[in-house]
Amino acid sequence: MAVQTQKLPYGIGRISGGWLLALLVALVFTVFGGYAYAQQLIYGEVVTGMRDIGTMAGAPWGLYIAFVVYFEGVSFAGIAVAALIRLLDLDHLKPIARMAQVMTVIALILGGLGVIADVGKPGRAFINLLKYARPGSPFFGTLTIAILGFLFGALVYLYLDGRRDAALLAKVPGKFQGFYRWWAAGYQDTPEARERHERASFWLALAIIPLLVVAHSTLGFVFGLQVGRPGWFGTLQAPGFLAMAGVSGLGHLIVLAAILRKVYGLEEQIDIAVFRWLSNLLLIFTAVYVYFMVVEWLTSVYSANTAEAQLLNALLRGEYAWIFWLSVVSLLIPLVLLIGQFATGKYRIGWLVFSGVLVNVAAIGKRFLVVVPSQTHGSLMPYVIGSYSPTWVEIGVVLGLMGLGALLFMLFAKVFPIMEVEEV
Amino acid sequence: MARYGMVIDLDKCTGCRACMVACKVENNTPQGHFWMYVFRFEEGEYPNTRTWFMPRPCMHCDNAPCVKVCPVGARYKRLDGLTATDFDRCIGCRYCEVACPYGVNYFNWKKPEGNYYLDWDDPDLAEIVGDEKVVYANPDLDKAYGPEKRRIAGGGQAKGVMEKCTFCVHRLEKGLQPACAAICPTQAIKFGDLDDPESEVSQLLREKPHFRLLEEAGTSPRVFYIGQHAPNPSVRQIEEITVKV
Amino acid sequence: MRKTLSLSMVVLGFALQAISYFALAAPLGTPTSPAYADPRLPFAPLLFIVGVALVFLAAVVYELMPDKNAK
Repeated sequence: MAVQTQKLPYGIGRISGGWLLALLVALVFTVFGGYAYAQQLIYGEVVTGMRDIGTMAGAPWGLYIAFVVYFEGVSFAGIAVAALIRLLDLDHLKPIARMAQVMTVIALILGGLGVIADVGKPGRAFINLLKYARPGSPFFGTLTIAILGFLFGALVYLYLDGRRDAALLAKVPGKFQGFYRWWAAGYQDTPEARERHERASFWLALAIIPLLVVAHSTLGFVFGLQVGRPGWFGTLQAPGFLAMAGVSGLGHLIVLAAILRKVYGLEEQIDIAVFRWLSNLLLIFTAVYVYFMVVEWLTSVYSANTAEAQLLNALLRGEYAWIFWLSVVSLLIPLVLLIGQFATGKYRIGWLVFSGVLVNVAAIGKRFLVVVPSQTHGSLMPYVIGSYSPTWVEIGVVLGLMGLGALLFMLFAKVFPIMEVEEV
Repeated sequence: MARYGMVIDLDKCTGCRACMVACKVENNTPQGHFWMYVFRFEEGEYPNTRTWFMPRPCMHCDNAPCVKVCPVGARYKRLDGLTATDFDRCIGCRYCEVACPYGVNYFNWKKPEGNYYLDWDDPDLAEIVGDEKVVYANPDLDKAYGPEKRRIAGGGQAKGVMEKCTFCVHRLEKGLQPACAAICPTQAIKFGDLDDPESEVSQLLREKPHFRLLEEAGTSPRVFYIGQHAPNPSVRQIEEITVKV
Repeated sequence: MRKTLSLSMVVLGFALQAISYFALAAPLGTPTSPAYADPRLPFAPLLFIVGVALVFLAAVVYELMPDKNAK
């Protein structure tokens, strides 16, 4: 039958060698992460590099928390871009809306799993957080708003935005037909239905923007409200987290869009105008973040108390200097590149991808520097200066989470169109 | 109701660390956990140096940062002023530990069983304990305390939960002093009801100038120090000990 | 009908969030007694999340509710 040979768009259901290879790599990482986590479950968190503050001279929060914050940050830009596209009617950016939403959902899942990897009693945490969570703890917002609420909102957004595509795909016979029919849930492509979706998605987008600000601010408050840890306490923490979230998420989105453009040959749909817009938005966020960084840096260089000065010394010249300067350089190079492209009006995708990768290196570095040095070098008591270096278990779990993210994304791309479909 | 507090006379402390040992024995804390720790300080430049000592239990702050940040209410304030940790509710997120400026929290990084200062492979010991690597623990440590009936006493209770100084709540409820106060050979550690003007601690605080650690952090600790001075940046620890789990 | 239902879901969702945050979960403020450790109603935080979910579900209801006069 002619209908049966009809192909679904964007390679859905068709498995290529390259995809399989990429999947295999992601799978290997995921399994390795699972193995590392199993070690931690069996022997306890003694297999990590984390130790107690004080007489053990360690850091009880390490790579896990740094990456939880990083993943949450990445999730920010996805839904923000999708919402902005809707609110500002940026129709030529529509092609990246879906991948942005999927990126948000996956990053949030990874963030949630990161929290589970970090806590000492993961099983109990599930129940106790839902049962006892105290609004007075900054973690309340992280759990209820930043992870669960935001995840739910992003899923709803993704679902509603995908209904039209699902209805289109449901017309084509195939093994996922039932799934598409379920997703479409009786969607008729009538003018009323379209208008209804326009209106619903407008309000959703409008609701999601403040939620996003709240979510990332609460994440900043986890650190910014702690007077007992030099380097953490400060009003700039919440807005800084928001800006950094934008930087890392947009960088991610640029890389993702470029990869998909290459793989699917979407030069026409994802044209240079899309990248120009993303690039300019990234420029704004990077500039704001660099400004925050300089303000914070100047303040503490000019007038730091003893503990702050000790911390600053460790950052600028000491143990953490290489991460600090690597992050600074990884922010400044993209900033220069982005300004250059903005000034000349010539946008090169290669440079943009390079910038996207660099800002994410900077993001990971800066997240690590927010979390760790204040614990090892920020003691207000005369303890021995501490140290922290992650073990293979922590690195394995983080790599596993990244592998899982790639895996989920690749699987999604084989089940549902990663870009809005025009006609089947 | 009594509101407990501790007064530590630094002029009397000889740095013998008997309190550290008493605490470990009383509370069964695993290897590497020091709910009570005694700093041994050195101050000044050679040849004008001097040494002094400062015991550091949990401060049981009235405005406790750890209690404020605990996401599940496992760390809470009792009406008698104690800052308690319910190890049955703790999820092991370690937020209390990073919020505490005093560094008094100890996380159970591994299974407490077999994690005591004993050579379990020693044939003489193996003969006594057999396969069970569990040391004797006071049964009082497993009981629930207070009107809220929560298990808050003792150390080494479970893998993956946070623990810290309890002011020996299981002894207090029997009318006994905390182990560190009871054992101190120079009676430098005094414990009592701060609300009772006639108690020894209240009288001491009236008579002598005193300070609390990191007063500027606004935590209002319930542990007071008399004699010496609050450690400042010119104070160094004599030893560079970092204990291992 | 469609509008009324989804709007009331939004209102109900936000109300649930506010009530569970301020009245049902553990009290806000400096904890000075064991009362600050327990939510006034167990699983109040879950109610808060349900509130957030309800607001977003309103959009789903708004779009998915079948038309009365269709067919």
